[in-house]
Amino acid sequence: MIGASILKEVWLLLRDRGRLISLFALPVAFMVVFGSMFKFGPDKGTPRPIGIWHEANDTRGAAIEAQLNATPGFVAKAFPSPDALRHAVAHDDLAAGLIIPADFDPVHGKLIELSIDEGAPIQQRVPIEGAVIGTVMRALSPVAPRDMPPLVIPKTPPGLANPLADVSAFQVTVPGNAVLFAFFISMAVAITFAHERHTGVWKRLLAAPVPRWQALLGKLVPYFLIAMVQLGFLFGLGAGAFGMKIAGSIVALTLLSAALAMCAVSFGLLVSSFGGTERQIGSTVPVAILVMGLLGGCMFPRMFMPAFMKQIGNAVPQSWALDGYYAVLVRQGTGIIDIAPQLIALVLFALGFALLGMWRFEFER
Amino acid sequence: MTAMLELSGLGKDYGERTAVKALDLTVTKGEILGLLGPNGAGKTTTISMASGVVTPTRGKVTIGGVELAKQPRVAKAKLGLVPQDLALYEELSALQNLTYFAALYGIHGKLAAERVAWSLADRAKDIVKTYSGGMQRRLNIAAGLVHKPELLILDEPTVGVDPQSRNHIFDTVRTLRASGITVIYTSHYMEEVEALCDRVAIMDGGAIVALGTIGELVAKYAGKGVELEVTGDLDQAAAAARAHGTVTREGNVLRIEPTAGLAPLFAAIEATGVTIARIESRQATLETAFLALTGRGLRDAA
Repeated sequence: MIGASILKEVWLLLRDRGRLISLFALPVAFMVVFGSMFKFGPDKGTPRPIGIWHEANDTRGAAIEAQLNATPGFVAKAFPSPDALRHAVAHDDLAAGLIIPADFDPVHGKLIELSIDEGAPIQQRVPIEGAVIGTVMRALSPVAPRDMPPLVIPKTPPGLANPLADVSAFQVTVPGNAVLFAFFISMAVAITFAHERHTGVWKRLLAAPVPRWQALLGKLVPYFLIAMVQLGFLFGLGAGAFGMKIAGSIVALTLLSAALAMCAVSFGLLVSSFGGTERQIGSTVPVAILVMGLLGGCMFPRMFMPAFMKQIGNAVPQSWALDGYYAVLVRQGTGIIDIAPQLIALVLFALGFALLGMWRFEFER
Repeated sequence: MTAMLELSGLGKDYGERTAVKALDLTVTKGEILGLLGPNGAGKTTTISMASGVVTPTRGKVTIGGVELAKQPRVAKAKLGLVPQDLALYEELSALQNLTYFAALYGIHGKLAAERVAWSLADRAKDIVKTYSGGMQRRLNIAAGLVHKPELLILDEPTVGVDPQSRNHIFDTVRTLRASGITVIYTSHYMEEVEALCDRVAIMDGGAIVALGTIGELVAKYAGKGVELEVTGDLDQAAAAARAHGTVTREGNVLRIEPTAGLAPLFAAIEATGVTIARIESRQATLETAFLALTGRGLRDAA
């Protein structure tokens, strides 16, 4: 019976262009758009221009300009006047610029002006501010920058595997969109239940010599498999076409995908237990999925979110799935044990959704 | 006579509301039983309990000698249900639909293909939503027959079909009876029940209020009478008529079975100030029996 249900759901899926688009084509479009909006890793990115103005004969200004050009990720862009530089910043032509007065004297309050939009998001502004200030300090240090011994060395703490040297945007956008759109299977599950109740097929199923638990599994198992195919397609495309790398274990990636698919299908069962027509489900569930995706970091990385938002994000399965995927895709040698917390969390979410859904589900509605 | 379906003390409550009280009904093998009743009479709940779709609050269902609650798989294998709605996947072909429904009964592969071949053979691979309403109804019935059940429950199978398809469905039901299949047939069309059914059960208020052959029901319940179309205060006219016979109302029509002669009846009605626009003599039919039992016309109540 389960086999016949799988076959039937595949037939129905192949006939439903809208559903095929939302499950397969739309996430690919999102991956391409978001992936192309960001740099393809530090070595492939274009250095960010930082404006600079100083008097022609100002040696300190020249030293800062040289240090900017020597700093990875930055390139100095000279301006003919302080106002021209401020105008460029104000009109978003560049993120920041330094205006170095000839009589620069920090002891007497005559400072270098960092022209930057202080209203810009803190996640964007602060890293630039910090890096530019650091560059100025190195340039003006009594020790020649080239001779200055390194003060700080970045190191991944024990417990975290080393990340790939070159993390492209697709390492983030592929799992982000895969997780976001995997949950659209929930809507498909809920709609299929509503449709079968509406048409009377559900009655036919209940009148057949099939135990009720099997009738339920007959609806859920096909969608679990479809979700697995969807995730396989999206990660396969990410790796094959967009250069997404898998730094960890493929088995861990597969298990994580299975836990995510279980979670999405169980959520669909929970949604369907609330009843509602196909139209009601179609208009409300996408909103819930998008909000959960937003909180879970599918559209905007959680690492840039404030602490309280990160805490809220822990309440949705998407965040756990993304943390797991990030580890498997970016951290070398990540295996099942390394993502055990994420796997356990996803399985618990799936069980929670399923138990609540089964408790509420009315076979005879 | 072998009993194909037995309902014993069967009832269903939804919270405080009782949908079906406590039905006792036996349907014999090879019989076509018509189930009639106005909306809310409990017909759908009864056939849902009989087919295992709804769990009864009390009583038991036995199909072909097998108790449904104790051996659901065995009992359900003997039963075919044709729901009132088109219980089909419209995006799939007839063949795909029937293959799936056959699989629910453990019928797979070649056997399934043989079973489905007879129905809509020339268009079996067409998508169901391209079918006419009549063809969809026929397929709806075929889906309930794909496993060759001993008992078939048809819930208003002719709703929205053209006369040609309706005749085809009638022929199918008669053929099924001839092959020994027991049929329970619910309908809002009195003439269908009269044309097809061996016996009729009339339900009202969650109970069977009458059961018998059409001849028995007509003889017992369908008194002859008159039908009056009245303009004016119908309530007063009905009250006056009640002193002279049994009265049922339907719109501005009074159906009266007089206890004495017609002259005092008409005089009493006209004394209320109403005008009698039309007078018609009524023959005893299943419809008049139904009216007498439920106080409502079947199609108006539906």
